[in-house]
Amino acid sequence: MSVLDELVAGALEDQQSRERTVSLEAVKKAALAAPAPIDATRWLKRADGIPVIAEIKRASPSKGHLSDIPDPAALAREYERGGASAISVLTEGRRFLGSLDDLDQVRAAVHIPVLRKDFIVTDYQIYEARAHGADLVLLIVAALDDDTLRHLLALAHDLGMTVLVETHTREEIARAVAAGAKVIGINARNLKNLRVDVRKYDELAADLPDDVIRVAESGVFGAVEVEDYARAGADAVLVGEGVATADDHELAVERLVKAGARVKASETTPLSEHQGPCWGQFGGRYVPEALITALDELERVYEEAKADPEFHKEFMTLQQRYVGRPSPLTEAPRFAALVREKTGLDARIFLKREDLNHTGAHKINNALGQALLVKRMGKTRVIAETGAGQHGVATATVCAMLGLKCRIYMGQIDARRQALNVARMRMLGAEVVEVTLGDKILKDAINEALRDWVTNVKDTHYLLGTVAGPHPFPAMVRDFQKIIGEEAKEQLRDWYGIDHPDAVCACVGGGSNAIGVMNAFLDDDRVNLYGYEAGGNGPESGRHAIRFAPGTGQLGMFQGAKSYLLETDEGQTLDTYSISAGLDYASVGPEHAWLKEIGRVNYSWATDEEAMNAFRDLSQTEGIIPAIESSHAVAGAYKAAADLKAKGYDKAVMIVNISGRGDKDMATAGKWFGYLTDDQAAALDVTGAHGNTVA
Amino acid sequence: MTNTATTPSGQPLGISHKPSATETMFDKLAGENRPAFIGYLPYGFPNPDTSLDALRTMVEHGVDAVEIGLPYSDPVMDGPVIQAASQIALTNGESITNVFKAVETVANAGGVPLIMSYWNLIYHYGVERFATDFENAGGAGLITPDLIPDEAGEWIEASDRHGLDRIFLVSPDSSDERLAIVSRNARGFVYAASRMGVTGERATISSSPEQLVERTRKAGAKHVCVGIGVSTADQAAKVGAYADGVIVGSALVHTLLNDDNKTARDTAEGLSLLAAKTDELAEGVRNAR
Repeated sequence: MSVLDELVAGALEDQQSRERTVSLEAVKKAALAAPAPIDATRWLKRADGIPVIAEIKRASPSKGHLSDIPDPAALAREYERGGASAISVLTEGRRFLGSLDDLDQVRAAVHIPVLRKDFIVTDYQIYEARAHGADLVLLIVAALDDDTLRHLLALAHDLGMTVLVETHTREEIARAVAAGAKVIGINARNLKNLRVDVRKYDELAADLPDDVIRVAESGVFGAVEVEDYARAGADAVLVGEGVATADDHELAVERLVKAGARVKASETTPLSEHQGPCWGQFGGRYVPEALITALDELERVYEEAKADPEFHKEFMTLQQRYVGRPSPLTEAPRFAALVREKTGLDARIFLKREDLNHTGAHKINNALGQALLVKRMGKTRVIAETGAGQHGVATATVCAMLGLKCRIYMGQIDARRQALNVARMRMLGAEVVEVTLGDKILKDAINEALRDWVTNVKDTHYLLGTVAGPHPFPAMVRDFQKIIGEEAKEQLRDWYGIDHPDAVCACVGGGSNAIGVMNAFLDDDRVNLYGYEAGGNGPESGRHAIRFAPGTGQLGMFQGAKSYLLETDEGQTLDTYSISAGLDYASVGPEHAWLKEIGRVNYSWATDEEAMNAFRDLSQTEGIIPAIESSHAVAGAYKAAADLKAKGYDKAVMIVNISGRGDKDMATAGKWFGYLTDDQAAALDVTGAHGNTVA
Repeated sequence: MTNTATTPSGQPLGISHKPSATETMFDKLAGENRPAFIGYLPYGFPNPDTSLDALRTMVEHGVDAVEIGLPYSDPVMDGPVIQAASQIALTNGESITNVFKAVETVANAGGVPLIMSYWNLIYHYGVERFATDFENAGGAGLITPDLIPDEAGEWIEASDRHGLDRIFLVSPDSSDERLAIVSRNARGFVYAASRMGVTGERATISSSPEQLVERTRKAGAKHVCVGIGVSTADQAAKVGAYADGVIVGSALVHTLLNDDNKTARDTAEGLSLLAAKTDELAEGVRNAR
């Protein structure tokens, strides 16, 4: 006899003994006289959260005694206060130590739906459940034949109750659906390690009709399982031990409710309107508590500003009159011919000219937006990090314009290879601090900026330059940069009469220019999106900044967000390398990690050599000198064209984001291509005007 | 992510209701009417073997609970002294898999072993795996400088299953609402940063930590310890008068560094300076009330 058979037999025996005291007729009468049931289906599915069914559970056959629960009514009220959507009451007495008395007490204590959980196989038990005020009953497919299942389901429905139908296999799910089940309990535990297995869930739930509510019914203990099931697609969860045995029952339920709400919020569509804090499993706020007050303030002020037409007006006016927006969308026919020659794709290629912005890159869009927020917050001091110096220059620029005190952190290696930008920042009145800790590159500059912020957060704003870091930075920086794609889309239509591009290419360091140019196209499936990371000497060389290719980045938390990260077996951040200081970063913005995970953006890389060749190609075919960062996107255009060709395109319209101009990179390029004599190169080194490509 | 710890019947572990090791310590010290002395040292600094000697020395000279630091490449909450020590440890081959030896060393010496770690190291090691190994080594709790309760779902679950303390931080800037969130989710004690900023010694300690301790208790915390900036016996006594524990980091780490603050001092000399500094601070803590 299986455990289930034994439990059913016992439950039946107990029911028969109750029936000798209270007849079926009497129970029927009581059921019909009971106050109307709550429609539980309305409680078990919602757009903004994962409803939690919290269980009153004293023991189970698999785990033995769990909790005494002397006062089930009090426990149920704690669950309700914690945000439970329903209470499950085990009424089986032999192994689970429950009773109908528990059910009565709970029913009287709460205003949310109550589930009678028992081994129900007879009409009597259904009427009895209703008579005791249950809104939901449990039926276990494995314990019932098809006819009985159909019959009991119909009886419960006739009495106005909702039925949670417990299943364990695909066959049982099919039987449940055929019998008319509207709420199905799914058990997606991997029996080897008892963890929730998303693949198993998918396998089980794949063919379920949309109007069936899916309740994850087994193995839910804490936030981990709620998140796993929610990401797998469950509508609700049933939790027993994890809440019944907790020290603080209310808090335990509250944590589960919050975990579910987070997952729901992290999967918002349309893609372009996602507001964080999490993109799928990525993002969040992995920062010291000392920064939370400042991040909360920033989020609040930003939300207010977003809703304030005056803020938009000021921002857009400055974008036009100070930055010089809109930046043009330039067709590049001679470059397109090169691409055609190499790939066979008949492409029309358009360059989004962020290089023509004031200060020479897209960075000013975000620096300007955040600086206006600094004014709104009443702070007086701005700090920022910079890699290639473009963000530092943009920040120093807006701070000069708005009269804000400004300090820029820059890794010593970057400060050498971008010495001219150091001079520019100082010219603009900013203090530039060269960071000599760690690897002396961008990440180390960010560490120092974070330390400064933790110390001076009262009067200081950290003007983060990319779509990374803790919430709200990734969403906020994206919002300030998305004008790039919005303009490009409009210009393509208005200037060139083209409805939409077939492809958009951008380089990805932290990822702000890429998000900026892609956001307007995220929800348009006709547009193929391509992001190019810094390939350095190639993925096998160990000298690169590729986070997304197999065998490179891993999941981790870095500088405030969960994303992909280049790290050692110990979880220590790896050194990165790229000829381009602006892409030389160990992690990547969380939204990119998510767009990779859901397959919306194709990520690949361009090596130093490919980027430098593209740098020359674009310069010599179009008279436009891109930044070395942007040259990775130009190099990517060849790869994207090849990919489009492989996908069956013969003709294609492509947008390549030229995120910045290459003047700052002339020394590097001059040496790379041998355009300078040894004397000239040496002269540059001596004056310190330019650095070299520092490994 | 495999849940390695299970009950004999193969089910995942339930909530452990074993008493909090740090709360037990506070209860005992309350009988002596004195605060706890909590000392910090990065594991593996200056090298793995010497760091075990150093941890033992600290316990033998009066530290009640040891915060064993896990060196990290990007320690954003740490000042120059601890950054330098962490870097030396990493260079000398520190590995997270061996930190449990340090936990055992502290436990065997009679101290309460805590680990302080940036979250990525624990996440990368595997949260459940870490909790299992830490519990098995006799560990008491984990201090998480860059993990706030809002992000700590996996750790809360693992620490509940393994009966480990969860020590989150609060700072003078924290709102009452944040203090309440931290206090509700904490187990063991709440770590109050004495001032805004990174770790490091300070000549003076302002009065703000006293207010912060009071506010944090009001927000529901049973025990509050104060760290960051405490480096002398006087400061320890002053802080110990109102806090449940006094946390000292940089001042102890400092004894094992040369005057350049970048290289490790001669081992014997360092350990004897560490012992002396520990004695001095322990004296301050014992005279706090």
